[in-house]
Amino acid sequence: MGLKLLHYRSWQGTFRSGIWSVWPIARVALATLLKRRMFWVLYAFGMLLFLMFFFGSFLLDWIEGQVAEGAVKIGQIDPNRVSRSLRNVIRILNGSQDTFAYFFVYQGGMVMNVLAFTGSLLVGGDFVRRSVTFYLAKPIHRWHYILGKCLAIGIVINLMTTLPALLLYGQNVMGDWQYLLNVNYFTEGNLGRGPAGWRLLLGIFGFGAVLTVCLSIILTAVSAWMRRTLPIIMVWVTIFVFLRMLSEMLVERLQYGPVWRLLDLWNSMCLLGFACLGFEEKQIWPSPQPPYWQAALSLAAVCVVSVIYLDRRMRNVEIVS
Amino acid sequence: MNTHESNIAAPGLEEAPRPSVVSVAARAERTPARETPPLADEPVLVFEQVSKWYGSVIGVNQVTLEIRPGITGLVGHNGSGKSTLMRLAAGLARPELGRVLVGGLDAWSWEAKRNVGFCPDLDVFYEEMSGRGFIQTMARLCGYTRAAAHRRAEDALLLVGMAQRARLPLAGYSKGMRQRVKLAQALVHEPALLLLDEPLSGIDPVGRREMIAIFHELARRGTCLLISSHELDALERLTDRVAIMAAGRVAAVGALTQIRDLLADHPRSIRLACDQDNLLARRLLEMDEVVGLERTPGGQGFLISVRGRDFFQKLNRVVLDENLEMRHMETLDESTEDILDYLLGGRPSN
Repeated sequence: MGLKLLHYRSWQGTFRSGIWSVWPIARVALATLLKRRMFWVLYAFGMLLFLMFFFGSFLLDWIEGQVAEGAVKIGQIDPNRVSRSLRNVIRILNGSQDTFAYFFVYQGGMVMNVLAFTGSLLVGGDFVRRSVTFYLAKPIHRWHYILGKCLAIGIVINLMTTLPALLLYGQNVMGDWQYLLNVNYFTEGNLGRGPAGWRLLLGIFGFGAVLTVCLSIILTAVSAWMRRTLPIIMVWVTIFVFLRMLSEMLVERLQYGPVWRLLDLWNSMCLLGFACLGFEEKQIWPSPQPPYWQAALSLAAVCVVSVIYLDRRMRNVEIVS
Repeated sequence: MNTHESNIAAPGLEEAPRPSVVSVAARAERTPARETPPLADEPVLVFEQVSKWYGSVIGVNQVTLEIRPGITGLVGHNGSGKSTLMRLAAGLARPELGRVLVGGLDAWSWEAKRNVGFCPDLDVFYEEMSGRGFIQTMARLCGYTRAAAHRRAEDALLLVGMAQRARLPLAGYSKGMRQRVKLAQALVHEPALLLLDEPLSGIDPVGRREMIAIFHELARRGTCLLISSHELDALERLTDRVAIMAAGRVAAVGALTQIRDLLADHPRSIRLACDQDNLLARRLLEMDEVVGLERTPGGQGFLISVRGRDFFQKLNRVVLDENLEMRHMETLDESTEDILDYLLGGRPSN
């Protein structure tokens, strides 16, 4: 026992601001998550979808090549017609805005499952185990703690959405540099619709940012509220499945106005993401949809409510811990 | 109210029952309280008319207290407000009324926490993390750079005797190892105020001695330690300065002997033995201060009950006048436990 070490090498430097504590907090949460097999199983399922998109574009090229060379004949059908049909069917794999819209929507579903299962691990566990006490007793603001948790969730979201989307984008760039350089790559080449180049890249980051900001704040609030896995999943399902079904029923069966789709937060996030990817409102299916600004407003309102709840929750942490 | 003077609040005293019977043998084994260093002038931790409610339940009620460098014990029953007081000092709770200052800064502010090391009574961490990883993370939260955090963590682990075992996951740690890791994370940024909630619980006797030595050394070097503990024997070895909590209030604060002196309604119990017990007993019964005398069951010496502060001077005179050879003298109810008995009507429960 090193009594002589007391006041050992007294610290002469300047302490860094509390904002620097955000990363250690996120890293601890991530390290806890990455040690769970369940996470890797869910992540692997998510990556299967990515692989489908990744190799799907090669499949599209190969089929088009085979059909064009006449190597593949389907009865008496004109090969060009087959090529056009196939292109339409797997148009979503051509690297256009459609590719990324579908990728984010499908991958987002997997992200929602992962988040539902990991919310307790990333955030709720701190309240159950009361280890939040260790954090808040250190010279950091409670917002640094919340930011750290949101950062951890954001990293998980981006590992499953934005990062693979960027890999898909890179794959298309490697195939044709015009994809990167020419914003009108698809329209000029009659290869598809929507922008390419930096505009599409910005759209990918935008879609990822919408998911990151909204889902991280909502999940942090839900996890701080419910704390344990099962209640978190139940609330998560209520928000993103039950409300989705309710809004669909109201708008599509009972013919209520499109504003009722705002009950579906996932739909609102996708709407904003589609806006980032350059979709026009009339292109979005299912229709009718509320205007983008309404979706943005509803998400902002939910995030503000979540933030207010988190603020109150962290102020009163001593009551429950 | 401050720790320079002993003070007793009225509510705790008025309802205090008679002291319970305490084993004489247990008393004989008790180690006397160690001297704590003299208090510096400036209080490190100040509670000013602090009240804190949890809904309709009151946690602490108009507490005014100053804690200065050195070791101060915090004792009281469960629900007496000890933990709330600790949490208020650590900036984990905000008072509804009054204010808590650490080094002149509001304890709720994160800047004040730079001066505070808090060792809670929790036993749960991120179980997959290693002890070293945990301390390094805590150091980084204190504002150290990565390299500095690693150095500080190593030194803190060495200090608490965990350097060799810190690579293991926390899940495999014993209670004592967890206590040491908790202490290391509280010490890692060398705070001026250390708040320790049950720091000796679960530690083996050898480890306990080591920890007590660390606490004394920290106090000697000017750190202010506020230690909450149910283990009153251990607390007595740490300090004779305590704050006694009851029903959300500070019932008494100061040196144990001073508090005991103020409990004038409760006679002191003293065990005496000398080479001429009968002569001594006769002389003692002549004193006004002696209100009771009883032979000990074995026939060696006797137990007396005394009031007033002049008894020991008179006893001294008697011993010299009669040329007695004293074989045993022990005050039996000046321990924290006894004073708690008197003040609160029972011992603190775990």
